[in-house]
This record gives sequence, C-alpha cells and structure tokens, in this order.
Amino acid sequence: MKPEDTSNEKPHRHIKHTERRDFLKKSSLLTAISLAPGSLIKAAEAELDEKFASALEQLPLSIEVNGKMQQVNVEPRVTLLDFLREQLQLTGTKKGCDHGQCGACTVHVDGKRVNSCLSLAVMHQGKKITTIEGLANGDELHPMQEAFIKHDGFQCGYCTPGQIMSAVACINEGHANSKDEIREFMSGNICRCGAYPNIVDAIADVKNGGQKA
Amino acid sequence: MKDLSSNNKSIVDGPSRVDGKHKVTGKARYAAEHPIDGMLYGVLVDSTIAKGTIASIDSKAAEWAPGVKAVISHLNSPKIPGYDDKFYGLKVFFNNKVLFYGQPVALVVADSFERALHAATLVKVTYNKDKSETSVDKNLANAKLPGNPRMKDYVRGEADAYKKAEVSLEEEYLMPLEVHNPMELHAIIAHWLADDKVKVYDKTQGIKDTQESISKTFKLPQENVQVIAEYVGGGFGSALRTWPHEIAALLGAKKTGRPVKLVLNRMQMFTMVGYRPYTRMKMGLGATKDGKLTGITHEATAQTSRYEEFTEATVNMSKFMYKCANANTRYRLVQMDVSVPTWMRGPGEATGSFALECAMDELAYKLDLDPLEFRMKNYAEVDPENGKPFSSKHLDEAYKLGAEKIGWYDRNRKPASMKEDGMLVGYGMSSGTFGAFRWEATASARINADGTLVVQSAVSDCGPGTATSMVQIASESFGIDASKTSFILGDSALPPGPTQGGSGTTSALGSAVFDTCLALKKQLHEIAAAEQDSPLYQSKFEDVKFEDGDILLSRSKKVAITDLLKKKNVPSIAVTLESKGNEELQKYSMYSFSVHFAKVHVHPLTGVVRVVQVATVADSGKIISEKTAAGQMIGGVTGGIGMALTEEGVFDDRFGKFINNNLADYHVPVHADVPHIDTIFINKPDPIINPMGAKGMGEIALIGFAAAIANAVYHATGKRIRELPITPDKVMGAEV
Amino acid sequence: MINFQYVRASTVKEAIGTLAKAGDGQFIAGGTNLVDLMKRGVTAPQKLIDINNLPLKDVKSDKTSITIGALALNSDVSENELIIKQQPLLSMALKSGASPQLRNMATVGGNMMQRTRCPYFYDTAMPCNKRKPGSGCGAIGGYNRMHAIFGTSNQCIAVHPSDMCVALTALEATVTVSGPKGSRKIPFGDFHKLPGQNPEKDNILQKGELIESVSIPENDFAKNSYYLKLRDRASYAFALVSVAAALSLDGQTIKACRLAMGGVAHKPWRLSEAEKFLAGKKASAENFEQAAKLSMAGAKSFGYNDFKLKMAPAAIVEALSKASGLS
Repeated sequence: MKPEDTSNEKPHRHIKHTERRDFLKKSSLLTAISLAPGSLIKAAEAELDEKFASALEQLPLSIEVNGKMQQVNVEPRVTLLDFLREQLQLTGTKKGCDHGQCGACTVHVDGKRVNSCLSLAVMHQGKKITTIEGLANGDELHPMQEAFIKHDGFQCGYCTPGQIMSAVACINEGHANSKDEIREFMSGNICRCGAYPNIVDAIADVKNGGQKA
Repeated sequence: MKDLSSNNKSIVDGPSRVDGKHKVTGKARYAAEHPIDGMLYGVLVDSTIAKGTIASIDSKAAEWAPGVKAVISHLNSPKIPGYDDKFYGLKVFFNNKVLFYGQPVALVVADSFERALHAATLVKVTYNKDKSETSVDKNLANAKLPGNPRMKDYVRGEADAYKKAEVSLEEEYLMPLEVHNPMELHAIIAHWLADDKVKVYDKTQGIKDTQESISKTFKLPQENVQVIAEYVGGGFGSALRTWPHEIAALLGAKKTGRPVKLVLNRMQMFTMVGYRPYTRMKMGLGATKDGKLTGITHEATAQTSRYEEFTEATVNMSKFMYKCANANTRYRLVQMDVSVPTWMRGPGEATGSFALECAMDELAYKLDLDPLEFRMKNYAEVDPENGKPFSSKHLDEAYKLGAEKIGWYDRNRKPASMKEDGMLVGYGMSSGTFGAFRWEATASARINADGTLVVQSAVSDCGPGTATSMVQIASESFGIDASKTSFILGDSALPPGPTQGGSGTTSALGSAVFDTCLALKKQLHEIAAAEQDSPLYQSKFEDVKFEDGDILLSRSKKVAITDLLKKKNVPSIAVTLESKGNEELQKYSMYSFSVHFAKVHVHPLTGVVRVVQVATVADSGKIISEKTAAGQMIGGVTGGIGMALTEEGVFDDRFGKFINNNLADYHVPVHADVPHIDTIFINKPDPIINPMGAKGMGEIALIGFAAAIANAVYHATGKRIRELPITPDKVMGAEV
Repeated sequence: MINFQYVRASTVKEAIGTLAKAGDGQFIAGGTNLVDLMKRGVTAPQKLIDINNLPLKDVKSDKTSITIGALALNSDVSENELIIKQQPLLSMALKSGASPQLRNMATVGGNMMQRTRCPYFYDTAMPCNKRKPGSGCGAIGGYNRMHAIFGTSNQCIAVHPSDMCVALTALEATVTVSGPKGSRKIPFGDFHKLPGQNPEKDNILQKGELIESVSIPENDFAKNSYYLKLRDRASYAFALVSVAAALSLDGQTIKACRLAMGGVAHKPWRLSEAEKFLAGKKASAENFEQAAKLSMAGAKSFGYNDFKLKMAPAAIVEALSKASGLS
C-alpha cells in the first residue's frame, strides 16, 4: 500500500455482506449456536451484528457494589476494574498498571483487599464489592480517610484510593502492629510521589485510635 | 505502642490540603475520568522494530471486528497542518519511518475499551527492519557536541587543572536510564466541538503549553482549544510537553466525529512520554593537601533520539557549587534509535550531582578529611561561575542542622568500622542545588459580597499542592480564614499560569497571587477611602491592615469588606494581573540548596542495602506550606532511594527495546524501602526573588540524594559503587 | 483479549468434564497470573472454567500430615494457625511472595501453575521457546538477570517464580491431582520439570488434570526454619535468589536438614548434596559454607546473572545461619 492509498477510509461502508457473514462465523459466541439463524444473518447485513455480538457475548451478573445491588450484563473479558470505572462510572478505583503491579486498583471483595485489574467482573457473582466511594458514611469520612488528610498521606492523589482501601484492610487483617509491619503489608501499593512515611503515620494513628472496619 | 506513635508534628499540625477530601473519597477526576456521551476508546498499536520502515499495514480484520469505528495509520491519517519542517518532535502517523521501538504506528478506535484493545491486536504490521543502535556504551565514539549553543564546553581558569593537583581523583560514574512512571497513566479525552474547535481533558503539567501546542499543531486559534486538567496523577516531568499519543487521540476524534479517550498502558509509559537519559560521567577533582579545591572537571555523555535533541544541565552544578579557580565541563550526546528523553525530576542536576557529590566524598577520604568539613573548606560565598552574590544562601546552616539530626559526628568515620544487629552501618551525606526562578504568571482574585475570596489561574497540579499554597498566600494576604478562600485551576480558559516544572510554580504563581491580592486590596481600600462617611476616608493604603475580612486603620476605625461591597451594591470586585520579576534579579545568582544525610544498613554477606534513617534539609527561602513542603522533600528522598538502589530501565540492544518496561521489573521503591524521613527547613525568606521570599524545592528534594546513599554504602563497606542502582549483586561483587 | 466463553463449575467432576469437552479451555481460580497472561496475549483460551466454587479451600490435619486444598488462598494459608505452628517455613515463603492483595486472590494450586516471569516469555513480539516452541530463546544472549543457573537447556533458561513452591519442595509435600483418567499423587519435587527440549511444559500435569490438594508430611523443622528472599527491592519483587532452609537440631547437631532454592532454576531447586553433607554435622559457619559450596556444583550463568554464582552460596549460608539461630 502506498501512503496515498485511502481505500481503508470508512471501512464499514465498503465491507461486503459475505464478509460480514465471515465475521459472524468467526465470532466465538456463535460457535455455541451451531447454526446461525437466517434472521441473524439478515440483521448482520443491516449492520446490526455488532449489537447482537454485544448482547450474546455478555453474561448476566448480580453484584453488590457499595451496598447497591447491580443487575448487569458484562462480557466475560471485562475486568472488575474496567467494569467499575467504565460501566458504573466509579472512577475512584484507579488504573495504574493494569497488571497487578501497583495496587492502585485495590478494592474490597467480601471485605478482603484484592487487585481489581486482575479479576474478571463475572467472577464476582453474588459478591460484595466496596470501593473508595463506598468507604465514607455519607458525608462522614472513614477514620482512615481523615488520617490520610491529617498526615498528608498523598500528593497527586492517584494511588490514594488504593492505599486507603489497602490500609483499612491492613488493620483489619491484624498487620498494623508496628511501623515495619505496616510497611511490609502496604508494599503492594506503590506511591510514586513518595508519601510513604506519611501513609504509615496515618495507618499507625488509626490503629492507635482502635479502628474497626 | 511507642513504635506506632506519630512523630511528624509539623505535618500533622499544619493546614491540610484544600483538595484532600476529593482525593481521599475518589471524587477527584483525573484526565480519563470525565464521562462524556458517545465517547469512544482509542488504543495504539506500537512498532515492534526500533529502526526501519513500515512495509504494510493490514487492518481489515481490525476494521471488521465488532464495535470498531476507525483504524488510523500513516496510510489514512487526516493531514496535520502543523507537521511542517519547524515541528519539534515525533510526527505521529506521518510517514512509514520507524524511529524507535514502541512508536505508535496505528490507532484503533472502538465503542468499548475491550473491543478496541482486542482489535488493536488484529492490526498486522510488517516492516523493513534496519540495524538499530540503543547502547550508549557501544557508541561513545559517536558522541557529539549538542546543537544547543548553551551546551558548549565551559572553562574557568585552566581546563583539567585537577591533573596537576597535589591530591587528585579521576573516576567515572553512571546514571542509568530512569523512567518517570507517575501512577496515573498518561491519558487524554479529545472532543471536537466543531471543525475548528476542540476540548481536551488531558494529563498535563502545563495547561497553557498544551493549549498552545495543540493550537499550533492543528493551526487553530488558541481560544478554540480548551484544555482541562483538574487533577494530575503525578508527572515528575513526563507531562511537561505534548506527546504523539495526544495528537493521535485528536486525530481519532476528528476521524470518527466522536469524543475519543486514549489511555496509555504501562508499557507505553516507557516509550511514549520520555525518560531520564542514560548518562556516563567522568569527574576530575584536584585539591591541595589541606583540602582546598584547585580543579573541577565534569564530563557527561548522554543519549538522545535521532529525531530530536534533548539536552539538560547535567554538568552545571560543578561550575558553581564549590569555590574553585579552575573548573571546566564537557557535555556530549549520542543519537540513538530511541524515543526522545525528557526532564525527569531534578533533571540533569540530579544526574550530575551524583557524580560531583560522590567525587567530593572520595576526595575527602583521600585527604583524610570529614566529607562535611571538606565541603565547608570550599564553601562558595559568591557564585564562582559569574562572581555575583547569591540572593540568599544558608547552605552552611543546612549542613549543620542535618549533621546534628542524623548524629554525623557520633559516627566512626573509618569505612567498614561500624556494626549494628549484624549489619554493617554506614553514614553518608551530600548536597544539592537548583536554580530559583521567577517566571511571569497571571492570576485573578475576586472578593465576593459574602466575604469569600476566589483566586484563579490556568495551572495544573501534579501533586505538590499548588492550590493549597496559593490559598495560603491569598488568605494570609487578606487576613481571612483559609476556609473562605479558594483557588481554581485546571482550565486553560483561566488567566495564564505557569507550567508546573523546574520548581518554579510557587515563585511565579505565588507572586502573581500575592500581587493580584495586593492590587485587589488597594482597589478595595481606594473605594473605602473615597467614601466620605467611611472611617477610612482619605486614609493611606500604607496605614491600613486587612484582618478577618476587615480593612482596618485602627481597632475602632475599620470597614468590613462585605459591607463595602453591599454599600456599593456590587456582587464582587475582581482584579486580574500579570506579575513578573524585575531587572534587579539579574544582579544575583538565585538557587535553592539542599543537604541530605542518610544512614544505611548493609548485609555483610548478601550485599542488601536498607536505608534506615534520613535527614534532609531544604534551604529554599520562606516555606509557604510546611505540610506540603515536607511532602515534597519526603517524595524527593523516596525518588532518590529509587535512583540510588532500585531503578534502571534496561534495553535489549539486539531488538532495541525496553526489556523491563513494567512495574514488576522496573523497581520503583515500595513502602518497605522507605524509612521515617526527617525534614528540616531553614525557612528564611529570600529577600530578592519575589515578594514572599519563597524559592522552589521540588527538584532539590531529589538532587544529590543518591550520592548520600552511595557514600553511606562506602562508609559501611569500604566499597565504592559508582554505577547506579546499587543492587545487592554490585555490593557483593565490588572490591574493597 | 478475545471474548472467551466463561462457565462456572461446582464440583471437581464437573470441572474436569467441562474442560475435557471444551477443547481449548483453561481453569481459572485466582486469575492473578492467567488474566495477566491473557492481557498480554501470551495465552488466549476460548473457554474459562471458573473453579472457585469447588470445595477445595480447607486446611486439614491428621496425625501424619497437613492437607491444603488447592483453592485455599495464599493469604489464608500463610495466616493459618496450624501452618504457622507446624510448618512456619511455608507461611514465611508465602508472606514473602507478591503483595497482600495478590495473596488474597492467588490460590495454592494457581501458585503452582504460575508461569515464568521471563520478559521474553511475556512479550509476544520476542522469541521464546516456552511460549512459541522453535522461536528461539530471547534470554540466552539477552537480558537474563533474573534467570536460571541450574538445570538450564539450550532451549530455555527461565526460572519458576514461586516462593511457596520452594518451601513445599523442601518440605517434601505431595500433590494430589484428578483428571479424566482418575486421580494420582505426585511428589512435589517431581511436579515441576526442567526445560529440556520441551520448555513449553512447566510441569508434569497432563491435559485436563486439576490440582486438588497438597499434603505436607509431619516433621520437626518448626523451630528451625527460615525462608530467605533476596530481591532488588525490600518487598513486592521476584527473587534474585531465595532459600528455604529447615533444620532439625539436637543441641548444635543437625539431625536432619532440608534445603531448596528459588530463582535459580526452571523448578524449585532442591539441594540434596548439601542436605546429605549437613546431616549429623554441627551447625557452624564452616559447615554451612561447605554445604553452600557443594550446592553450586554444575551451576552455569549467562552474563547478566553471573552474580548468582556468588549470591546463591551467600544466601544458602545466611538462610542456614538464620534457621539455626547462628545469626
């Protein structure tokens, strides 16, 4: 192809019907339906196949997020992180690496801290998810949120929701008995601004105050 | 539990960040987090060769994939009017040339993130591959003087005078490639509101820069480009300029006619938004037997890209840090098949200070002097580079305070002489410096009839706490409570503010806020003084004070600002003002200084180094907000621990690619790497630089720190590790 | 990531049966490694069979052993009172791995099944015989800082990244697996294999088999166990070298000893020669150094990992010193 070749512009208008049937044959979900119904082929030719694709490639999911039951349909490949951020608009849970290497995406699943980026949303059928948006009691901040403000446990704020969710769990797990123990059990949450000492102070403060989840 | 008691009183007691609540509740919205109807997702396809040309791009499978709206490459990219000969940087989707591994070669736009991501894997690109060069060490022979005229060789007195000195030292030091890796992935949402009008939500440290850059690239009137950056999840320099992925997102949005969100993945953060260049350095130091420096030579060779030259002030600190009649520097670049580097926190000075401050330690030991005493013997009272006085310099006091805090004089200076719990103990120190500036900036201040004060400027804050400092300056100026004061930032439509970089925001913007508030106070006083029935009638501005929302001549003669506005029947009064330094500043050398002391433990058998105590001192003029300033220093130390012990970007030169381009293999420090850090501020206003007397501190927090660790490792083990990072294998392998 | 099919299984039998019918399918438990590999395009199963509902989460003990269900979480096992009391080596190894969040997701079976962290394996644009047999080994002649010094082949020098498996190797655990052809037991040390000429296979598990549990036989190492992990930062990093050391002491005399290393081979690397040497000898620095020296026979490095030839014996000495209370 030469640089001036623009035949690829607006591809959908140029694709022939037979090619769209090819797509339907390739679609992984339709391998489950041994025979594609004729109406589906017609729909495909009307370029509705993408909508069918979405509908058929999604699975129903019941999941409780911050105390609210969500009945949704999601593709199995959607991670819990992208589900929260892109579908529920709960953007407090952050994407820092998308590979379980930074902890910015930490949420609680049934009270346990996990990396939502390495977890598929469909794997949480019937589970209770708590994100940073669900930690405060209305306008009343969670003691850990208060402590992070007081001790300046952040700068840019991007790793902060993950740090706070992890910190709450760290105390609940019983891993906040010394500053060294806090450091070790908070090491799954990277802060590039380097607020670590202040975060450790915040957790120690809450621990001393006798926080319970 | 004593171990858990909090011990950083200045942090706890100080006023908290004004944006803290939003940050701890997840309400703070970063670039990728603005919901926009009809938004599409863009995913970039990156080159898998480092040099050559694109032979073909087969995007049919991707185009047919469900939800895909467009696949853009150089084959079909809309023309970019600003990609002319003068364009600075990589031109995305411009032609078939590949200039580095991981260069964006196509953009897939689809209606969901998952669909875009999958379709991007379906784009098949073939290449004509050429041999690439990514090793600086193998290409040192090709090192050249940069085109940048400011980078020419510097000589004061005699060049290479160290070679003739009574006692001399010549050593090589290595700063490996480092990657900024802010926690927030670089992201943009591009939304064309009309053919010639665009709004972007972008990760940027310079809102006005981004606006200008986009308007130039797309040849749009500047006011037709709106840049929003309410929250920026770290930058450290990576968001100081407009990068190809931002232009790609704008192209995707243009082509599809819909808003497009593009978020880089962590791998792309290594190749698409700059890095600190790999730099080989040579230091030559000479001194008399009693420890007076007689020669300083600093040479540096760094990498840059083939398509754009990047230079930084790596060797500059050696020109003025110590009193010495003879000093010379040489700075060279090697062009490689890599993406262009950029400023990373402390930029070149952090690289250069590692060599200078290690060499000072080494020569001190050669002279049998305490490294601190050696520095004091060569203390520069005036700037040796230009003979000018320093606007303010309290480095001597900083040395003293830091030494006391860490217990410097209680140590046994002899290397490998101290042990504690089976670990070798080492103490090290170093210093750092960075230019203090006052750029121009504009702010507006508005006082409302309800007594609240609103200050605004088009800046973004990648973490230092700009809004918090500005609220502090404004509320102090008016003598009103900080809770009644707010600072609005993050929108290019606001009065033009500075780019947040080079430790210059507080000085530039703070001055603008200070001057604007002053002008507003004068205006309010003028109104009050003109009212015949006012207690302030015909009073002079010099005689009044602003306190608790009142303009006050004496305790009985005062006017509430709220009453004044009500009386005048106006909802608010506002002033917008540009502020900049005057010529007086040219008479001085203006720098911030820092001193770092560190104590390390080194495992005698395995070579594992742990930093156990740090005292860091900043001489950066008046501290506006002690809480956020302490955060800056702690953050710099943490970055310095990474630089000293863990961070190194590695290329596989056979392929010309980053081989550890993720956060599991590129080790930034974690909680367990960072001890308690004592921060100390000299906190003496600089009488020259600006009305607050505040100098920058973001860079000095890091500059020099790595040398303190390397020097401490030497003190603990008797081993000099001159190539960073100091990983256990290097400590084990080094000779005493 | 392709949009794979996803089903949940509730019994072992159902899981095995579903996989047998699926053709190109995989079990998913914690997903910490599998989802990552799918994101990177290293693996792309058409079907995932979620086994998290299988009743394999318990830690049980009888008179002669402790049996851990394959779906027990790494965090739960590391905090289990029985494990901490009787098999502290395993608890220490687990706690040194990954991060608290990942340990809350990762299972015992999944930990055994995790793939290497070799960067050439993870990057589909690079040559890798493990990912794509016959494509070559990027690490040989490349950046091999993290790579093996024992049991390598001309096809692959990758290491197994687990800490838990190093401890279980030292503790002579037994793995119980079930498959279409029934169930069988595998000594832990035989579960993972060396790369040889088929590095694409990490272990001897056969197609369609599912790990059910791991049993650790009773021992008297609890008082003198230590897991040492050397890495490039203080936590949350894979091992450069790790050592699991377990001793049974009678005064200063070593009655029995178990040693295994991580970060040095394609499988947890048992140090049998050193174990034999130390049995019956005094717990002393000299003997530990000798044991370390014996352990290095046959070691071969590849450039960037040359340091492991020095670091590995130092780590063995340090782990033995810590386990015996010498340091």
